[in-house]
Amino acid sequence: MTRTLQITRALMTAGLLETLRRKDLYVVLILTLLLTLGASAFRAFGVQGLEIFVKDVALTAIGVMTTVLTVLIAARQIPDEMQRRTIYPLMARPITRGQLLLGKWATATMTASLCFMLLALTTLGLLLTLGVGVKPIFVQYVILKLLGIGWLCAMVLALSLYMTPAANVTLSLILAFGSGLFGRLLLMAHWEHDLSALWLNLLYGVLPHYDYFDMSKKVVFDWDLAPWWVLGAMAGYAVLNGGAWLLIGWLRFRKQTIG
Amino acid sequence: MLPIEVSHLVVAYRRWFKPPFRAVDDLSFVVREGEIVGFLGANGAGKTSTIKTLMGFQPPTAGTVRIFGMDATNARARQLVGFLPETALYSPYLTPYETLRLYGELHGLRGRQLHAQIEALLEAVNLSHKAHTLNKNLSKGMLQRVGIAQALLGDPKLLILDEVSSGLDPIGKRELRDLLATQRARGATIFFSSHELAEVASICDRILIIHRGRLIAEHRLSDLAGRVESLEDYFIRTVQAGRDILLEEASAA
Repeated sequence: MTRTLQITRALMTAGLLETLRRKDLYVVLILTLLLTLGASAFRAFGVQGLEIFVKDVALTAIGVMTTVLTVLIAARQIPDEMQRRTIYPLMARPITRGQLLLGKWATATMTASLCFMLLALTTLGLLLTLGVGVKPIFVQYVILKLLGIGWLCAMVLALSLYMTPAANVTLSLILAFGSGLFGRLLLMAHWEHDLSALWLNLLYGVLPHYDYFDMSKKVVFDWDLAPWWVLGAMAGYAVLNGGAWLLIGWLRFRKQTIG
Repeated sequence: MLPIEVSHLVVAYRRWFKPPFRAVDDLSFVVREGEIVGFLGANGAGKTSTIKTLMGFQPPTAGTVRIFGMDATNARARQLVGFLPETALYSPYLTPYETLRLYGELHGLRGRQLHAQIEALLEAVNLSHKAHTLNKNLSKGMLQRVGIAQALLGDPKLLILDEVSSGLDPIGKRELRDLLATQRARGATIFFSSHELAEVASICDRILIIHRGRLIAEHRLSDLAGRVESLEDYFIRTVQAGRDILLEEASAA
């Protein structure tokens, strides 16, 4: 266990340095700030009730940027190592493939989480400066998003071992952004076809649900805090479902020829 | 315990609508402690496939590969091994120092011991002045030096080097020879593939020549001395003869 932690820490440190030096994060940060400032500029036209609009734009921008960043960060963890052939000196060390997979998942999760926190805190600061307040549910929104990032990294990392990077990024983005839509489509089909309800429920259960981890609308409309057991249940879902994705990835990776 | 023990190794690659391609075909050999063994063969002979199975990057299709008595796919077997791949490009966003720190920590080294080893290795491969320059700003030869340094982290008892002198200038090659001599002096076993036959002749105790995945010659260099004009001539003749033998076998079948 100590050895696995040491391996994970080493990979995370290197991963963080790489991300900071790639400068992707700064571009995203500037874009989010511009979007939020742009939305707040509507005040100049004297439109009332802009707080909700500005918050909506800001949180939507954070959500989209975080999802795209998370998918891109997780999707390149192992394929990049393969493509650059840096996987050889990595795997030449006394580490198992399971340890490498776990380390890469932790690296992607930590890096994407840091990006999200930076975006969220900067945007929060900007909103407060503009006089747009947020309720304590913002804290729950952040916690849930962090859980979602960990879950999304597990899914993207697993898929990266089965398909090409381009196919993985495309499919992962469809699954992440479309997961809310799947639920609504299935619900509509459910009303239309009672007989297939079981299959529809099964399908709904099997499909990945990144949408579960998004509380942004509740923040926008100033809801009160959600019961904490709901967040506990979501943490359970993230651990079990994310663990299942990592297992699926490991089943492929453990016997895969490297290079 | 033998550093390398390969027995009836077969590495086959599946192909669509064709029988599997046997990159390595019933290969057996051993490398004894303290030896420097050159692994030679023409392009596509099966050298890299063999080295991949030695490092556990690829499971054998058949046969066994043991490193210090342990199955090569066992991660613990790599605790005593240093490996230099043929064309490793190290993360462009890390410096040589950070690269070595990463591999050192993965190897189980830490703290002052790791720092001291990194400093010593960067000095040994003449890269101290570039220790904190990003890898993307280093030349191919300098990256190869980073690779050599990472292979030597943890004082490995067995060094497996794939095309070790690739990308090095003549000065770098000389320094590499000196470095390998130092490793040998401290008792390390070295197994390496190379197309630089002059280099092989100057360093190795023994050579293995493979052709189409099969071992076609195995000699101590001291036995060849005086019997052949040059290692290059001997290699070309042997590979040509091996090719002829295989062609005869194929036509007989």
